Amino acid sequence: RRSRSKQSSVSSIADDQITDLVSKLQHLIPELRRRRFDKVSTSKVLQETCNYIRSLHREVEDLSDRLSQLLASTDSDSDQAAIIRSLLMQ
Amino acid sequence: MASFTPNLEPAHDTSLQFKPKKPRITLQTPSSCPSNQRTQIIKRWRTQRDQHIYSSKLFQALRRSRRTSASREVHETADRVLAGLAKGATRWSRAILTARKVTKHKKAKLPTNNRLRKPDIYRERRKTPAVERKLKVLGRLVPGCRKLSFSNLIEETSDYIAALEMQVRAMTAITEFLCGGTGGGPLPPADRLPSNVNS
Repeated sequence: RRSRSKQSSVSSIADDQITDLVSKLQHLIPELRRRRFDKVSTSKVLQETCNYIRSLHREVEDLSDRLSQLLASTDSDSDQAAIIRSLLMQ
Repeated sequence: MASFTPNLEPAHDTSLQFKPKKPRITLQTPSSCPSNQRTQIIKRWRTQRDQHIYSSKLFQALRRSRRTSASREVHETADRVLAGLAKGATRWSRAILTARKVTKHKKAKLPTNNRLRKPDIYRERRKTPAVERKLKVLGRLVPGCRKLSFSNLIEETSDYIAALEMQVRAMTAITEFLCGGTGGGPLPPADRLPSNVNS
């Protein structure tokens, strides 16, 4: 194997690392977690990762929206806020 | 993580072994790391304790701020508290914290001189253009990660996803608290509450 060019031996090590990392990423994504034992292409994993992050961003946007509305209406009520705070601290 | 970051984390925290001295291109595979290290990384952001800490910090921050009637402010506060919890261990968290109040200037892409870059032999030669494109998109989605190497980008992405999931869980919980009024407060915060508030 040493007789091969240095280029291919280094990049084959990097390839292993790449597939390892990609499978690690795959594990994190709900869409792809079920298909862990199938071969999912790197391209697909990356695509789903991007989609998943975007959907998480959207969820946070929606939640921020709702929270901002709720906070605007509870702002005057400090008693309830204290209760909530104590509940959250436990 | 990237080798240039100092280890900023206190020793007592449960979830932190972020391999601060790991070289960028390592010849040992990640699976050769001790398994408990891996579990710690996986467990990060996923424990109830982390979520409670985040929820309470976020709630306090929201109460303190006068301007939380804007959805954008809430979002930014949520991101900031989230990034703060990371304690500077990840690029995305640092990028969020340093990006505050900076207006969005799009940097023009300067033509890079390929001779000065690291030789491409050692990375990414084998990737197809489709994969390259998606890597770029991913780099744009994760804050502060546009020019990262492949392995660093994946590391950041994993952490970022876990943190985002926790953010969603925590914010959902806060929202439910505010809606449900389980503490039996005197006033219903929203008009969709059931009528049995005054016990």
